[in-house]
Amino acid sequence: MLEIKNLTGSIINNDYAILENLSLTIPNGEVHVIMGPNGTGKSTLAKLIMGHYMYEVNSGDILLDGESILHLSVDERAKKGIFLCMQDPTVIEGVSNSEFLRTARSSITSEKVNLYSFIKDMESGMKEVGLDSNMLHRSLNQGFSGGEKKKNEILQMKVLKPKMIILDELDSGLDVDSLKIVCDNINQYMMDNKDASLLIITHYPRILEYIKPDYVHILKDGHIQKTGDIQLAFDIEKSGYSGINDIAGDESHE
Amino acid sequence: MNKVLYVFDQNDEKEYHYNITEDTIIYHYSLNSDCKVDVHLVTEGVTFYYYYNNINYDDHTFSIDVHHRKGNTHSEVVNHGVNVGEAKLTYYVNGMVPKECSKCICNQDNQIINMKDGKSTIWPNLWIDNYDVDSNHSALIGKFSEEKLFYMMSRGISRENASRLLLNGFLINSDSIDLNQIDWFMKEIEKI
Repeated sequence: MLEIKNLTGSIINNDYAILENLSLTIPNGEVHVIMGPNGTGKSTLAKLIMGHYMYEVNSGDILLDGESILHLSVDERAKKGIFLCMQDPTVIEGVSNSEFLRTARSSITSEKVNLYSFIKDMESGMKEVGLDSNMLHRSLNQGFSGGEKKKNEILQMKVLKPKMIILDELDSGLDVDSLKIVCDNINQYMMDNKDASLLIITHYPRILEYIKPDYVHILKDGHIQKTGDIQLAFDIEKSGYSGINDIAGDESHE
Repeated sequence: MNKVLYVFDQNDEKEYHYNITEDTIIYHYSLNSDCKVDVHLVTEGVTFYYYYNNINYDDHTFSIDVHHRKGNTHSEVVNHGVNVGEAKLTYYVNGMVPKECSKCICNQDNQIINMKDGKSTIWPNLWIDNYDVDSNHSALIGKFSEEKLFYMMSRGISRENASRLLLNGFLINSDSIDLNQIDWFMKEIEKI
């Protein structure tokens, strides 16, 4: 379970708080969505949870399974089971996809990974997400299209088996067919791992046609202004964020 | 490529002269050495790749001059150095295309990673005396990008292991390298 308690956060060495007093609880097995206008702090929340070096928590706490993670380094948070599917995955020249994934898996499991079984697993995983198997031997994300990068993120999720998954604008850069493939893989993962939780950050409800959420939250002015079910996302699509006060929903979700 | 050469320097001071008459790749692995390289592309239409990979501990200088002597010649020079301590590391990289050589491509890419507070300098020079040449140069001195380290750490890889992966990728930067040839250099990377 992920608990965010009265979180205030900003860009490091900057007094302006992007998130203010934000609280959110995501129990095991639930799918939550955060929507909101540009610049309202959605990606900042994802980066604060992961421990990005450009952001800092000014007050409040983030707990995973009852334990604060604020003192943990980025890799320690990943080992605890947090996975951030990045909005724009980083290109790393010279480090092959296979080398990266193998190192990541052995870091997470603390076990030496057998090369033969790893390659076999990867080949089937890549087929499931619709990636050509020769991409395993290419430099990480180098020369990948936007869609291939996102599919590669989901491949990493499947390999590392996290329990708290954050999808930061997964749907950007994905065509309709690719979005469906990626969402099918996420749904299968959630079915196979009943305790895993999902936090989807998105601008549009399109992704929610494939992944059904338990709750939808509207983030505005640095905190959650409204919480509802999937209907809230479709209402926002129709009336926009400026009409949020006229849409039905709870005022907060804690 | 018709010809592939591996060149090694260890704690040395060396000069190399090459007349390139056929398509050639040279992989040059250098440990803590001074080195001067002089290249002449003397046959029309040849392509020449030069990968210089360098680990540095003390004050050293590397220089390479690439002379295009014939038209339609193509040079790609990629220099990657890791300055481990606080010493001076200097690269002079010169690409030269005279007026009589037409339709040449003359590119260079130079990067030095300072692991600590080393004093690194790159002089990327292009001496182009013809209007139809395609030529680019780049020079970067700094540390490994925090964004790359963050991405790798977000997958559970420790900062130390992420840096090691980046170091390997930086210094062994071509898929076509015969790793058996550079076993000693890979062991030197592990010592960084």
